[in-house]
Amino acid sequence: MKRTYLFLLLGFLILLGLPMVLSSYVLGVFIMIFFYAYLGQSWNILTGYTGVISLGHSLYVGIGAYTTYLLSLTLGLSPWVGMWIGGIGAGLVGLVIGFFGFRFGLKGVYFVLLTISFAEIGRLIFLHLKIFGSFQGLFITPHFSFWNYQFKENTPYYYIALGYVVFSLIFAKLIERSKIGRYMIAIREDEDAAESLGVNVFKYKMISIFISAFMTSLAGAFYTNYLFYLHPGTMMSMAFSIEIILRPIIGGMGTVLGPVVGSFLITPLAEISRSYFAKAGYEGLHLVIYGFLLVAVVLFFPRGVISYIKKVVTSGQSGLK
Amino acid sequence: MRKVSRRTFLKYSAAVGATTAISGFPAVLRAQPPEIKIASIQPVTGVISDIGIAMRRGNQMAVDDINARGGIKSMGGAKLKLLLADTEAKEEVARTEAERVIKEGAVCLVGPFLSGNAMTIATLCEQRGVPFVIDVAAADDITRKGFKYTVRVFPTTSKFAESMLFFMDKIMKEKKISKIRGVLTNTGDLFGRVQGATFKKAIAEKKFPIELLAHIEYPLGIQDLSAEVSKIKALKPDVLFPVARPGDAKLMIRELYKQRVELQGIISPGSPGWYEPEFIRDMKALADYVMDNVPWYNPLGKMYKEVNAAFSKKYPGKYIDTNSGYAYLGVLVIADALERAKSTKADDIMAALKKTYFKQDLMVGLAVTFDQRGDNINADTAMIQIIGQSIKVVLPEKAAEAKYVFPMPKQLWERGV
Amino acid sequence: MNLNLILQLALSGFLMGGVYSLIALGLSLIFGVMRVINFAHGEMMVWGMYVAYTLLLWTGLDPFFSFSVSAVTLFILGYLLQRTVVNQILDFPEAMQVLPLVGMAMVFENSARLVWGPDYISPQSRFALSSHSIGFLTIDTPRLIAFSLAVIFTILVLLFLKKTDLGKSIRAAADNRLGASLVGTDVNKIYAICFGIGTACVGTAGGLLVPIMPLSPHIGAPFTLISFIIVILGGMGSLTGAMVGGLIIGVAESVGPTLLTNLFQGIGLELEFPQTMKQVVSFFILIVIMILRPQGLFGGKRG
Repeated sequence: MKRTYLFLLLGFLILLGLPMVLSSYVLGVFIMIFFYAYLGQSWNILTGYTGVISLGHSLYVGIGAYTTYLLSLTLGLSPWVGMWIGGIGAGLVGLVIGFFGFRFGLKGVYFVLLTISFAEIGRLIFLHLKIFGSFQGLFITPHFSFWNYQFKENTPYYYIALGYVVFSLIFAKLIERSKIGRYMIAIREDEDAAESLGVNVFKYKMISIFISAFMTSLAGAFYTNYLFYLHPGTMMSMAFSIEIILRPIIGGMGTVLGPVVGSFLITPLAEISRSYFAKAGYEGLHLVIYGFLLVAVVLFFPRGVISYIKKVVTSGQSGLK
Repeated sequence: MRKVSRRTFLKYSAAVGATTAISGFPAVLRAQPPEIKIASIQPVTGVISDIGIAMRRGNQMAVDDINARGGIKSMGGAKLKLLLADTEAKEEVARTEAERVIKEGAVCLVGPFLSGNAMTIATLCEQRGVPFVIDVAAADDITRKGFKYTVRVFPTTSKFAESMLFFMDKIMKEKKISKIRGVLTNTGDLFGRVQGATFKKAIAEKKFPIELLAHIEYPLGIQDLSAEVSKIKALKPDVLFPVARPGDAKLMIRELYKQRVELQGIISPGSPGWYEPEFIRDMKALADYVMDNVPWYNPLGKMYKEVNAAFSKKYPGKYIDTNSGYAYLGVLVIADALERAKSTKADDIMAALKKTYFKQDLMVGLAVTFDQRGDNINADTAMIQIIGQSIKVVLPEKAAEAKYVFPMPKQLWERGV
Repeated sequence: MNLNLILQLALSGFLMGGVYSLIALGLSLIFGVMRVINFAHGEMMVWGMYVAYTLLLWTGLDPFFSFSVSAVTLFILGYLLQRTVVNQILDFPEAMQVLPLVGMAMVFENSARLVWGPDYISPQSRFALSSHSIGFLTIDTPRLIAFSLAVIFTILVLLFLKKTDLGKSIRAAADNRLGASLVGTDVNKIYAICFGIGTACVGTAGGLLVPIMPLSPHIGAPFTLISFIIVILGGMGSLTGAMVGGLIIGVAESVGPTLLTNLFQGIGLELEFPQTMKQVVSFFILIVIMILRPQGLFGGKRG
């Protein structure tokens, strides 16, 4: 156990130093790794720990992004402050979805479809309201300053994204160890048993979806100020929800490190296949290869990459003894 | 690490080998000026890959032609090399890809069709100080952000509406029509929405005698337009003003045919869908008399004739249209700037780009030249019409190949298809 | 309120719904038996479309005949996909099962782009432009034919499942996997055949849609989602449910926006429910059904 922490600390120190040696492009790839690792962790709280599958997390990203941006546009509120308000907004929407889902006992694919429905309805409503830029989307005027959460270089973005990941790791670990976390896992393992032991299943599921939605929406602030364009068609789509869940699933659901490991595996895979197969006349080839790689990864690591790593490490240890 | 550098080396030597093979001189006899890398960044996969690929081809062909003519002469005949990037129609990918090509040494970026992608890339280019030439991406907002490193060759959406009303005015005067009752439709994406709204606003502001009975929107990538067309039929308009994309344009025509909607004309305020070779190939006589107000090639231009001949030869069944034409033009503008800048430094290129006065007869409109914002003030549209299943420029008269036909002499279902 | 318009919308929605039903039937069959959601469903439909298109191009065979070739091709494709990928993931956690099929969806979409190019194609087939007028109503011939053939195909699949031995063992495997293998059925083979039939349904639908809508590699994804909605609406694993659900969604999406706009204006609201929001109607129906009757319209107690 101690060794794991040592490794993590070492890894963290290396990551801290990377901006000194890496090009802006590679930093950009790392930023995407962190961004998706963080989103994956947020999703993991709900699906990995509590066992409630959601395929509508892009909704929370959208709520976070739009709230943050509109607050800074109209009230001049810094995104650093606005993102927490967005987080609460997303959390409340999460509670509404959770209420319908948990009160009426929707499980498995039913709950999946409930989350998809709410996300799609949300996307379509955002798409039609003028305040959200409607179909045109919102073009964000860059004002590079710390207060505005906008920077010229990738290095600040890199550290912010890294900060998000570290925060999510510590937070997930704390939850895992807390009473809430134990109840959540109990619900995932056997809901009826948990109920009969006196766990208030409804309450803990609601807590779980609130935390998950809240965390997810914080990433929206990052998205806004990193990409400078908001449109529900891309970042609130089902495709984006799928993008969010890919990494924690491959890394290992219900584990603290799974989303990070998954993101370190999948994001570079996408990047490498895109840059190496970018040949004129073969448009789409890189996504065929990426698609096959996804299939292969799941077939090789059906329990998530993290459990495989654990197995290798423990067998290595026993071999040493 | 070692592996990567070896691969780069191999790539580089292969490229040099290829250049040698083309020019026919052994490398030893000629001092090779260094290659100048520029990057084409387009949405070649995802929802709009048809247009993205057409534009990548336009970019590539311009680079090949410039190289065949001896490269950038002021820099010792340096050849251009086009790096290819794919945005997958997503902003986050657009940013990462732009970073990648900048790292690989692109001194200037050209692209993309989608305005959202363009916004992300323009911001990145501002952050990195790399010149960015937008070939097609019409949303006005992009050039209103005070970017110092972005110029746009394509007309803005307000320009579209202005020309559209100019042409409509001409048609209505000549045909002695005092008022047109029309229905406006557009796809529910950025381009469609903006194009539709700008047209509507222009009519209202100028009190132009077009009465819009309805403004119908439908999602991009729609597979069924029967409901929308039923609505149009119920309103009995004179003219349909559709802003479309390749898929729904075909769907629309077939649905209009099947529901027997009587119209005097189909006149698009400016959109793809109505001029691609596939539209005419699949719709045959039904494509006839459709008009579209688009930034189009100049049919009388010498440059157009040469480029189009080469393009059609390389890609059978295709021809230069709005998107591939502007993609080609975008690269020419970059080459022209490099020629005058005699340098690959970003600020030199940008200074040269700002001073661009590039005479061209590839597209309708005068020489490419940019205003303070970076918009090409001479970019213009033409009214085109499909007559006898081929595309003719009908307005403005100085570029016209044929006289426009209005109202349509035969309804869609009377054309014996 | 324009009654003619509403009726016209209802009719075309109803005809389209028949094709939706067939697509959803495929998904429902696969889900009912294997408890796997085929996230590549829509993309496989696009392959069915391209197969029919290619035959039209090469041999001039009308898609209303060549859909059978699409069905066979997609059956083989589905069979192989089940054997190589899906069969390995049957015991995975639910969320895990999503990934390989999402990956396959990418493969199907982009390989279609590589093979057939990115452009929109709407080939001239014999019935593509024909329509009939009955009073004020326009009946679209290709839709009518597609609808009829879809319904016939659906009934054939139902008969196959109810009457033949193979069909019976598929249903037995759906009810009880362990039991079926104890009786000595080769469950894996049954599963592969079942997956094949599911994808053959969607392939058939694809072929039938060629004369109705332009095809392009990326158009598949919305069909996966819509058939997903239909399956839940009709009742998980209920094949009749898939049929009826398809018709309901077809009509609701077509009529919904206009009806709602009329309703808004009827109560004095200057509000328009835009056509672009028509999916909201389906999602709304779905949410209501899930809350009031989670087993779906035709689902048994099992849910």
